[in-house]
Amino acid sequence: MGRALLYYELHSRWNRLRARLQRLRQPKYLFGALAGGLYFYWYVFGMLARRSMPGAAPPMPGPEHQALLKSLGALVLLVVLLLMWIVPHARAALIFTEAEVAFLFPAPVERRTLINFKLLKSQSAIFLSALFMTLIGRWSGGNYLFRAVGWWGVLSIVNLHLLGSSFARTLLLDRGISNWRRRLLVLGGLGLVATGVFLWLRQSLPAPPDFSSEQSEAKALAAFTGYVGQILAARPLPWLLAPFRLAVAPLFAADAKQFCLALGPVLGLIALHYLWVIRSNVAFEEASVELSRKFAERVAAVRSGNWQARKPKKGKRPPFELRPAGWPAVAIFWKNLISAGQFFTGRAWFYLIWITVIAGAVLRSGEEPAGRGAILMILAVSLGVISIIYGPQILRHDFRQDLRVADILKMYPIAGWQVVLGEILAPAAILAGAQWLLLLLAFLVCPAPVNHASVTVALRIAIALSAALVLPCVDFIALLLPNAAALIFPAWVQLGKDTPRGFETMGQQLILMFGQIIVLMLALLPAALAGGAAGFIAWFLFGKVVAAAVVPGALAAALVLAAEAAVGVHLLGKAFEHFDWSEGSPE
Amino acid sequence: MEIPPPAPSPAAPPSLIETAGLTKLYGDFPAVSDLSFSVRAGEVIGLVGPNGAGKTTTLRCLSGIIPPTRGSVRICGHTIEREPIEAKRNLAFFPDEPRLFDYLTVAQHLTFTARIYNVANYREIARGLLEELEIADKADKLPGELSRGMKQKLAIACGFLHSPRAIFFDEPLTGLDPLGIRRMKDSIVKRAAAGAAILISSHLLHLLEEICSHVLILKDGRKIIDGTMDEVRRNFSEVSAGANLEEIFFRATGENKGP
Repeated sequence: MGRALLYYELHSRWNRLRARLQRLRQPKYLFGALAGGLYFYWYVFGMLARRSMPGAAPPMPGPEHQALLKSLGALVLLVVLLLMWIVPHARAALIFTEAEVAFLFPAPVERRTLINFKLLKSQSAIFLSALFMTLIGRWSGGNYLFRAVGWWGVLSIVNLHLLGSSFARTLLLDRGISNWRRRLLVLGGLGLVATGVFLWLRQSLPAPPDFSSEQSEAKALAAFTGYVGQILAARPLPWLLAPFRLAVAPLFAADAKQFCLALGPVLGLIALHYLWVIRSNVAFEEASVELSRKFAERVAAVRSGNWQARKPKKGKRPPFELRPAGWPAVAIFWKNLISAGQFFTGRAWFYLIWITVIAGAVLRSGEEPAGRGAILMILAVSLGVISIIYGPQILRHDFRQDLRVADILKMYPIAGWQVVLGEILAPAAILAGAQWLLLLLAFLVCPAPVNHASVTVALRIAIALSAALVLPCVDFIALLLPNAAALIFPAWVQLGKDTPRGFETMGQQLILMFGQIIVLMLALLPAALAGGAAGFIAWFLFGKVVAAAVVPGALAAALVLAAEAAVGVHLLGKAFEHFDWSEGSPE
Repeated sequence: MEIPPPAPSPAAPPSLIETAGLTKLYGDFPAVSDLSFSVRAGEVIGLVGPNGAGKTTTLRCLSGIIPPTRGSVRICGHTIEREPIEAKRNLAFFPDEPRLFDYLTVAQHLTFTARIYNVANYREIARGLLEELEIADKADKLPGELSRGMKQKLAIACGFLHSPRAIFFDEPLTGLDPLGIRRMKDSIVKRAAAGAAILISSHLLHLLEEICSHVLILKDGRKIIDGTMDEVRRNFSEVSAGANLEEIFFRATGENKGP
């Protein structure tokens, strides 16, 4: 039976790889793969090349820091493993695909074989995670291979411990020990150990130094880390942390000898965990069926653009009453606002505005309000600017969500431009609302100018009003672009549940994102020119007062952007009317 | 291919669904080839054919979901390519799986549909439909809280809200319990009696036989035959006078009935 499972796993992987290679014959995947490959090369091999240059490799931390980091790593691992005994409440369950459940569960397969199969399958995810963690921690120095193997060991132990603890939890539940009783037992034991350790340490450790007496922050930090190191090195903590230090030791190996010596105990820990898991005879099938179903739903939801990845549990209050007569576009706007969640109701915005106003008033009072206000203003403005680029990627309550039900949308007796308008309005309104809040906060906390007499209150009001006027138009254009991409290149955007993944998809997304930024810049150019021209004329006409020029300039820019948006909606409406979502998929 | 205007006939009810030369290609693959037929008010046509015959593609083209490669479709006198909004106002399409919005409750689905189709007095119609379909007590439920049968009932309530005159069903009886099948059949017959033209695609031939006045057999995207049950029987003289739709189907499509 093990051979059959191995056959299934190997052939599934091979067929998946072959399908990916075959689709490279299509230019959209080929270009995506090239872009994704180049990015990956730049990220990984470029880094390796830079490391090989003399003097470029980051130095390994010194032995003192190494010891401290190892102890901290061991402590983190201890906490992670302890949490596995405290937080979870469900019975043991292994995640299988729905097909695996259908084929393997009724088949004459031993429970042990299924566990082995799952452990083998989990190794690919562990390898990838180890690679990812190595790449993330590349600036902290050390040997890449040692790091990667070290992470593999730690993650394998965590994976096996998670499984073993879930089996143990199920056994306890079967014996009538409820989750809360188990938690009380674990926390009680933990409390006893912690008290004992604290009392022991209090006798052996000197009093903590006065960190605030240090002259510089760096010295205070050094004193603090030194004291933490002392605590972790003081008995009985090294004894308690010993097995966890063994588990993380390869990560901190300085040379091949240290690494080989550290690897043995890790393999031993993995073997012990494996024996614990494989010898636990716990029924996991029933819970696994349910978990696998939920997992399949979650995967389908994520792949189709629903990043919350869960179905709503109860109906949400509509943002406003929808009357049966009027523009159908409003119905789609209404529907997408409901989809966005309870947070986006009028009442929620009302509270948010009041919270912002009160927070602004509080921040303006007290000691040194100017410095605090300036920091907050910069933060709010930066967030507003960032939201123009990332907001449309995050808020996807538009075609990227609804093209899954394109057949239903196509059936409605609505002009294409109305569908497009309705689809884009919801994320645009949410984004603009959030930016207005940031703007309000920035305006409220903006410190009074000390040396810049030209920055009058009137000018600040004019700038805030202008930004409030222009931002929704910019947002709308920024949202038109990913929606246009979804309609024109549906294969490049995450839509249906069969959306492909891999290098080529990553490359496609990179190409799309760069394309969208370029098109957004091009769309903003005429508006900037018109705004500049109108502002200059207003400045000239109204006595060369800057404050009087800002709003007319913004108005002109907003008008140009609105005209561009109208043209975009019209063109996209035509594209939607001709959108053939079934292309290439006969039924 | 243009559809000729229907010949005036005081006796015959008007054709509400008409198609001429309908062709749909996926790349080079013809899913539907040169299909022409019409459905008059009060008629129920059973669209049958083996898997891959082009039934679903035909229904999707007729309801304006996907554009045909060639040919023309007219719904209640409106050509769907040129007057899509007027045509779609008169039709309803029920896919094989009920397609609902996860985050809208039953009542919100009906409110949304009413606005889309501009149904002014939708509250009374919706109440009647929910009661008829026995889901009036589920108004605040989300689709995720409903069984498949209830989801299908909600899709039907949404589809019937604007009183469509041309109705397309894709496998409407699959997955329903016996009572659900009975109710669905009654509902279809009731709509046809009220003057709707109905096209049903299904593999459940014995059930189609009970409710359909006409039958259209497709194979490889091409029409084999269409007409009333008797007309179709007559065309296959080898089949006995009392032959059922299953026998006609196997004869018409040349499929082996098996052991």
